[in-house]
Amino acid sequence: MTGWFLAAATLLLLTLAGALWRVWTGPGRADRMMAAQLVGTGGVAVVLLLAAATDWAMIDVALVLALLAAFAAVAFVKAETPEGRGDPEDDDA
Amino acid sequence: MSGTVFDIVLCALILGAALAAVSGRDPFAAVVFFVVYGVFIATAWLRLDAVNVALAEAAIGAGLTGVLLLGAVGRLARLRETAPPARAAGPRLLAALAAGGTTLLLGWVFLTLPEPAGLHAEVGANLAAAGSENAVTAVLLNFRAWDTLLESIVLLAALIGIWALSPDAAWGGRPGMTQRTRAGGVLAQFGRVLPPIGLMVGVYLVWAGTKQPGGAFQGGTVLAAVALLAMMAGRIAPPRVSAPGLRLALILGPAVFLAVGLAALAAGRFLWLPPEHAYALILGIEAALTVSIAATLALMVIGPPQEAP
Repeated sequence: MTGWFLAAATLLLLTLAGALWRVWTGPGRADRMMAAQLVGTGGVAVVLLLAAATDWAMIDVALVLALLAAFAAVAFVKAETPEGRGDPEDDDA
Repeated sequence: MSGTVFDIVLCALILGAALAAVSGRDPFAAVVFFVVYGVFIATAWLRLDAVNVALAEAAIGAGLTGVLLLGAVGRLARLRETAPPARAAGPRLLAALAAGGTTLLLGWVFLTLPEPAGLHAEVGANLAAAGSENAVTAVLLNFRAWDTLLESIVLLAALIGIWALSPDAAWGGRPGMTQRTRAGGVLAQFGRVLPPIGLMVGVYLVWAGTKQPGGAFQGGTVLAAVALLAMMAGRIAPPRVSAPGLRLALILGPAVFLAVGLAALAAGRFLWLPPEHAYALILGIEAALTVSIAATLALMVIGPPQEAP
């Protein structure tokens, strides 16, 4: 079973290479940030598979990654919007 | 077999993200690559069976540092509107040579050092008397408590250094810029939903640290992120830098740690933990340290006071 978990984790890592390519090409800042979020989500999946393959104590790392990956997105919208309001709906107003 | 393939792919991704981060022209893209790099590095630590380090890397490298650097990029962009930077090749080449040289030197040292025997056996033999089933916590808070005590004081010194950058008129005010959010907007809502979950995860990591990977630094970083999120979403205002409660929270950890160490000095040995009380003492020190680490890290990310109180 361990071999299968690791093989699945490797496949997920390869999909994250696609996300890396998107971070590189952009073109917009939001494109890069969303690709980073994808790496965060994929990273959670990779860590969970590693935990299943080796040591269940590792799932705490997935927990922290899931919590803090969202955090970078908040910092991003705060930095991008005028006055740091960070509310996409403001664009319509 | 499949483990080796996984490691090779992971190493390629780490190298790719690292090279892209240092070679990109756009500072924003470099920061995004740095965040991504943190996720991969955390995975690499897991492959090396260093779950404690992976937790710290996931919280600090992929989490808090990303926020800090994104803020720095925003600030740089605002500065450049007034003064365009000079793009000289000389300093860049010098920095590349210095960094490359350091990497080569480290690689040479690593390859020429004799294979270390390690201290696994000694730590394992004394773990029963250390007050923690997690070997890393036992080393950090008992066997090498001196290092951890000084580290907690270094954090405090770093914050004082950051505060020293505040303009005279702003001293005593609230740290960072004033945060504005639209009431009922997505961000304000996010600031309500995430903090309770994050609070629970942070406290859990500290509590779990005595038995399994976790501890004050990891838990404190998560709690700092929660506090920052609540501040950025406009749910709470950062406390004034002169507030007595804040000052107390900042020194609580080092103070409790030092008090325990001095109490042991009465028994003859500084920072010695009596085995029968070691578990309770470690938990007490960890709890106090968590409060200080969380407060210090959050205030370091949010920056010095900017506006007059």
